[in-house]
Amino acid sequence: MGYPDKKRINTTSTPIISVNNISIFFDENEVIKNLSFQVEKGDKVVITGESGKGKSSILNALLGFIKISAGSIYFFDKELSAENISEIRSNIAWLPQETALHFDTVKEIIYSLFSLKINKQNTPSESEVNQILNDLNISPDQLNREIDEISGGQKQRILLAGALLLKKGILIVDEPTSDLDEKNKKTITDFILSQKDLTVVAVSHDSYWINHSSKIIAL
Amino acid sequence: MKGVIDIDYLSLILGYIILIIPFYILWYYKTGLLKDAVFAFIRMTIQLLLVGFYLEYIFELNSSILNLAWVLVMTILATYTVINRSDLKLKEFFIPIFIAIVLSVLIIDAYFLGFVIKLNNLFDARYLIPITGMLLGNSIKTIIIALNHYYKQLKKEKELYKWYLANGATKQEALVPFKKEALKSAFNPVIANVAIVGLISLPGMMTGQILGGSSPAVAVKYQIMLMIMVFSSSIFSVFLSIYFADKKVFDDFGNLKKIR
Repeated sequence: MGYPDKKRINTTSTPIISVNNISIFFDENEVIKNLSFQVEKGDKVVITGESGKGKSSILNALLGFIKISAGSIYFFDKELSAENISEIRSNIAWLPQETALHFDTVKEIIYSLFSLKINKQNTPSESEVNQILNDLNISPDQLNREIDEISGGQKQRILLAGALLLKKGILIVDEPTSDLDEKNKKTITDFILSQKDLTVVAVSHDSYWINHSSKIIAL
Repeated sequence: MKGVIDIDYLSLILGYIILIIPFYILWYYKTGLLKDAVFAFIRMTIQLLLVGFYLEYIFELNSSILNLAWVLVMTILATYTVINRSDLKLKEFFIPIFIAIVLSVLIIDAYFLGFVIKLNNLFDARYLIPITGMLLGNSIKTIIIALNHYYKQLKKEKELYKWYLANGATKQEALVPFKKEALKSAFNPVIANVAIVGLISLPGMMTGQILGGSSPAVAVKYQIMLMIMVFSSSIFSVFLSIYFADKKVFDDFGNLKKIR
């Protein structure tokens, strides 16, 4: 798949994400009604609220995995549509809840997204991988472990490391700290939310993450 | 050439008696397969008897058009069986799977009958019909295993598929791990079977040819050729079935539609 220049998204335009009066139906229920919000470059947006309020549905709608029944979503200057979806996705790093992904090895988590054509040029060097693992409080020795030898919290941090190594401008993430202990929750939240140029849209229940975000959408 | 001992119909009925034991086991363990099994054997018997009568007639006539029409009927039945046993929607899947099976059988038939055996008439009933039948019979098995595995995994591991997609993968890239596993599940047993042929199992076609009076040397050569044909056409048909069906099962955003 090529990305000819004229189809390339203008990533300098602002806001980065614009959600305009969207409604989302789940089965027969309208879980999201007339929701609007804007995300500017570097914003750290958190969507929070009780279970079943449609938090994850918003992330899924942003990623084009579920259809909105009304309203529109723009990334930069492009409307989210079948035509633009691959360009939009190529500017995003996405991380679902840790429990949803099954891998065999730690290395597989870090490197499998770099086998994709669009990400190949960003394949990290060994020192970059070691650096980010250190930043997220993971010993680089863990790289050679099997997945069932590490804890849920370690897996979650390794997945985050992989997402950050993609060096996309936008990180969309569902419950990024759900499996972490208090100390790591703080380390990871501080690290991710202090990345000045990174735009983050997260779903979270965690008060530390919520309090350190720049924009809160409470459902 | 020695004549073959014909099985008279009374002896054939005696043969069925042994089925009581497997049927009893299926019933005892409440597998829910008894009804299907009884029905399958009745269907098999009627089909083969009818085909036996029909083939005698078709072999005698040996008209290319009639032979091709018979192959077409076999392919339609094969397509129907694949879709039915994979629990897929007939309306959505018939055309992609039919095209996949027709293409793979055509390519392999043309290559082996025309190029390897060098038949004067590619549509000679004695070669075209039984060989296509064997190709279809074996392809059906592998396509069913592969499609079942493919769609089951796509559903079970849909977050993995979406993870690739949302992080910039093309649909084809995001599907690679699923295609890999589908091919592995369908062809692992096939490859194991190819490796033991002659040592443990004597394949049906070769046994049939020897019983029918051919020399083992000729039967072996046909068997080797047939195993290559079956393997190739099975891989082609699995690959093409997934390829053509993919065009029907994902929406414009790359999301898997409801297919069952």
